[in-house]
Order: sequence, then C-alpha cells, then structure tokens
Amino acid sequence: MKKTTENTPPGEIPVDKPFVDLVKVSKIFKPSITALQDISISIARGELVFLTGMSGAGKTTLLKLICCLDRPTKGVIEVEGKDLSRLKPKQLQLLRQNIGVAYQNFRILPDLTVFQNISMAMEVAYRSPTVIRRRIDDLLNMLLLTDKRDTETGKLSRGEQQRVAIARAAANSPSLLLADEPTGNLDTETTWQVMNLFKQLNDAGTTIIIASHDETIYKNAPFRTLKLVQGKLV
Amino acid sequence: MRYLAYILAQTGRNLKQTWSTQCMTLLTVSLSVLIFAFFFLIYTNMLAAGEKLGDELRLIVYLEDEIVPQMQDQLERKIRGFSDVEKVVYVSRKKAFDRLSKQLDKDKDVLDDLGPDFLPPSIEVYPAKNLHTLTQIKHFADFLATLPQATKVQYGHSWVERFAYFTKLLQIIMFLSGGLLILTTTFMVSYTIRLTIFARREELQILRMLGATDAYIKVPLLLEGVMQGFLGTGFGLLSLYFLFTWIRERFTGPGFLNLFEFSFFPLQILVLITGVSIIFCAGGSLTSMRKLLRL
Ligand SMILES: Nc1ncnc2c1ncn2[C@@H]1O[C@H](COP(=O)(O)OP(=O)(O)O)[C@@H](O)[C@H]1O
Ligand SMILES: [Mg+2]
Repeated sequence: MKKTTENTPPGEIPVDKPFVDLVKVSKIFKPSITALQDISISIARGELVFLTGMSGAGKTTLLKLICCLDRPTKGVIEVEGKDLSRLKPKQLQLLRQNIGVAYQNFRILPDLTVFQNISMAMEVAYRSPTVIRRRIDDLLNMLLLTDKRDTETGKLSRGEQQRVAIARAAANSPSLLLADEPTGNLDTETTWQVMNLFKQLNDAGTTIIIASHDETIYKNAPFRTLKLVQGKLV
Repeated sequence: MRYLAYILAQTGRNLKQTWSTQCMTLLTVSLSVLIFAFFFLIYTNMLAAGEKLGDELRLIVYLEDEIVPQMQDQLERKIRGFSDVEKVVYVSRKKAFDRLSKQLDKDKDVLDDLGPDFLPPSIEVYPAKNLHTLTQIKHFADFLATLPQATKVQYGHSWVERFAYFTKLLQIIMFLSGGLLILTTTFMVSYTIRLTIFARREELQILRMLGATDAYIKVPLLLEGVMQGFLGTGFGLLSLYFLFTWIRERFTGPGFLNLFEFSFFPLQILVLITGVSIIFCAGGSLTSMRKLLRL
C-alpha cells in the first residue's frame, strides 16, 4: 500500500507510473461556469487520496471526469494508462465495470431492494449468482445493513441509502473506487464502518479517491489530501 | 449460460414493467397477421385451384388450311416468343376427324356423309399456368388471331377472365394487408420498446454507469421485439387455423367449397410468415433503440 503524508504538495507525481493521471484538465460548463481549471493530479496504484474543498469547489465534477461520465473541456485524463478520450465504447464499458463509484446523490433505484441494487452492478460484470450472494452478504455485514437486505431502498433512511451506494461501488472489488461525500449522511458509528471498509479495500490494493468536505474523516488520517478551491488545486 | 440467464432476467423485467402495452401490441400484431394470412390463404388456394382448372385451359386457333411441318415450327416459335407456353399441338384435319369419331363412338356413322375433311385444322395452345399468363389471356388470344392462316380463336372466356380478375383483386388486398402488417409490426413494436425504454430510463442510465455492455442493454430489448413477433404471429396464425377448420366443418357437403380442395398453409409458409414478421418486429425495436439509447 502506498501512503503519502498530508504534507505532500498537491499534484506531485508519485514515482511509479500513475494509475490516475490528469494533465491540465479544465471543465467549463455552458455558458461560462469554470468548474475546474488546469488541474494536474497523479495518483499511484493502490493509493488512497482525499479530495477536499468547500461545496461547489468542483469535487463532484472532477470525479465525474475520472469515471468518464463527463468529458473535460481541456486536458487529458488517463486511467490505467489509457487516455479516456480515446476509448472505444466497448473499452469504456469494461473500464467502468472496473471503477466503482458511490455517487453523491446515490443513483440507486428506490423500487428495488438493497440486494437487487447491489446485484445489478455484479450482474453487469456477469458474476455468478453464488459469488454475488456471498459478496453482498459480506458487504452488508460490514456496513451494518444485513437486516435491510430485502428492503426496497426507497424505504431506507438517507444514511442507509448512502451505504447501499457505497456497497454497490465496492461490489465488484474494483481497481479504482471513487466515493463522493460518502459520509455526508452518516453518524459517527456508520462513518467509522464506511471508512473501515475503504481501508480494507485499500489494503487489498484498490486505489481510492474520496471527495469530502468533512474534515473529521481526513484530518488525522495518514493519506494524501488534495484541496480544491473554486476549481483550482491549492 | 450465465450471460443468457442475465439477459433473460433483464427481458423479464422489461416485460413486467410495461405489460399492458405489451398485450396491446401483441393483440395488434396478432390481428394484422390474421388479416394478412387470411387473404394470403385464400390467394394460395385460388392459385392452386387455378392450376387445376388450368388443365382444361387451352386456346384453339382455327386455321384456314393445313400447314406444312416447317410452317408449324415457325408458328410455334412465334407463339412461344409472345407468351409463356406449356405446349403447342398441331391438329390436322384428319386428326380432328379421328378425335371426333372416337368421341362419338357408336354414333360415328353420322360423320360418314360429311367426309374426313369437314373439320378445320387447328393449333391448340396450352398456356403456362401462372397468374401472369392467366390475366393476359385475352391479350394472348388477340395476338393468336393475328397469326397467318388463323380464322378464329376459341377459349373459355368467361371463367378465365373472372378468375384472373378475382385473383388480381386478391393480390391487391394481400399487398395492402401485407403493408398493414409491416406497418403495425414495426410501429407498434417500436412504440412499445420506446415505452419500455422510458419506463426504465433511470435503470438503463445506471446500468450504463455500472459499465453494462451494449449487448447487456440492447439484447433484452431486441428479444422483446422478437418475442412480440413470434407470439403475435403465433396467435394470429393459430386463430386463422381455428377459423379455417370452423369454416370447413360448417360448409362441408356438396357446395361451393367442395369445388376445389381448400387447404391450410404448409409448414414452410407458416415458418416464413413467422420469420418475416419477427424480422420486422426486431426492426421496430432496433429503430427505437437507435433513436433513444444514446446514453
Ligand atoms: N452540469 C452542470 N452544469 C452547470 N454547472 C455545473 C454542473 N455541474 C456542476 N456545475 C457547477 O460547477 C461547480 C462545481 O460543482 P461540483 O463539482 O458539484 O462541486 P462540489 O462537488 O465540490 O460541491 C459549481 O459551481 C456547480 O454549480
Ligand atoms: Mg459534490
């Protein structure tokens, strides 16, 4: 596992070939909202990085660019050494199966159960039903959701829904996990559980980027922190 | 295998979400298949009947005088050049006389006074038995009348013309109902698939985000169209079959329908109709996907 200290200057290039590499990335929303400006970041394989900054700083936008949900106005983004703008649809689809994303607004289906929501991600990757069942039970156990397994997610609290989104992101044991404000709706206990899950995944080799404005989760953590202010790295 | 199971599960989810429209579409497809197949069935039976009646169909061109074999060949070539012909038979005066006396059998002495030369020589033309020659028969007869030596052309005017007219009409109805079939299958299916896509928009978007491949998203929708085509055509043809047997039982006995054998489609035709309508239904779902699935 690669750990860098909080004091590492933002955007410093780690020694080995970066796993996620952004070069002078800008994103301008029409008509003229500059959400990101000249962002260059390199994240090594196996690293866990916090992306911090006030609400509106551009964290979500940056994550969306990395998982290819949106395209940068300028600049190059490489994931696993592949230029995202040059991927063929099929390659992009396979890459997405390998990137787990817990969205800020969850993007889970309210009329499907917890199990079904998480299972979707694994079915897409054609995992076997046995593997799916075992993996989901493990995740639910870790995130204290076991008793909600067959409840429709629309009936859950925000905090529970958030954990479902996180479980789905982690389901395929992706090589890259992006979490957008993963603890925004959680109490101390569940925050601790979620961070624990992230550390476990990170120990197993998953590269993780956590966007958060919640100081308590990154303040004393031994991980690199990148700070965004109005779309710029500081 | 697993791939197939997930694809089928997806298809099932689609069907569940828009089942009432699915039923409507199924009904429409069935109905239009029924209408088309109904006319098509009558048409094929007409053609079969025409083939049988056509055995007796010939045009007789009476000639002024006997012609030499060389001339016969030339005439035959001319006739064949104009229309598709099964055979051309030259009947000399003597042959005509022999035929008649054979027909008269015991009464043939009535011919004794007339002598073997009283019947004119003729050419008997047996047109090929297809719809084209049948509908063109009058035209053909007019042409034969212009041949050198021809004095008169004789054939079963009325029934041939009526038959040809009726078949032609059926052909038009068939084309129209065929067009209707194509329209309904394509549009209705395309419409249902569109509804499915709208109903599952959120889910499809999430699937995309999760990295679902094109196949994972599109094959179930295509399968939905194929199923509409298959089941719809199946129901349509099945109800036609019941209608067919009902009519046959009802009107059995000496009557109009016994004039010629009325038979149902052979298996190949059933498969063909089903196949074609499946293709159009699949086409319908493809159009919807192309329009709406740029996620
Ligand atoms: N789709 C969009 N269209 C227009 N502006 C957007 C869009 N998405 C984000 N923005 C703007 O970009 C800026 C950064 O937003 P965001 O990345 O969501 O910030 P954060 O996640 O750090 O709170 C904000 O000013 C926001 O209004
Ligand atoms: Mg955000």
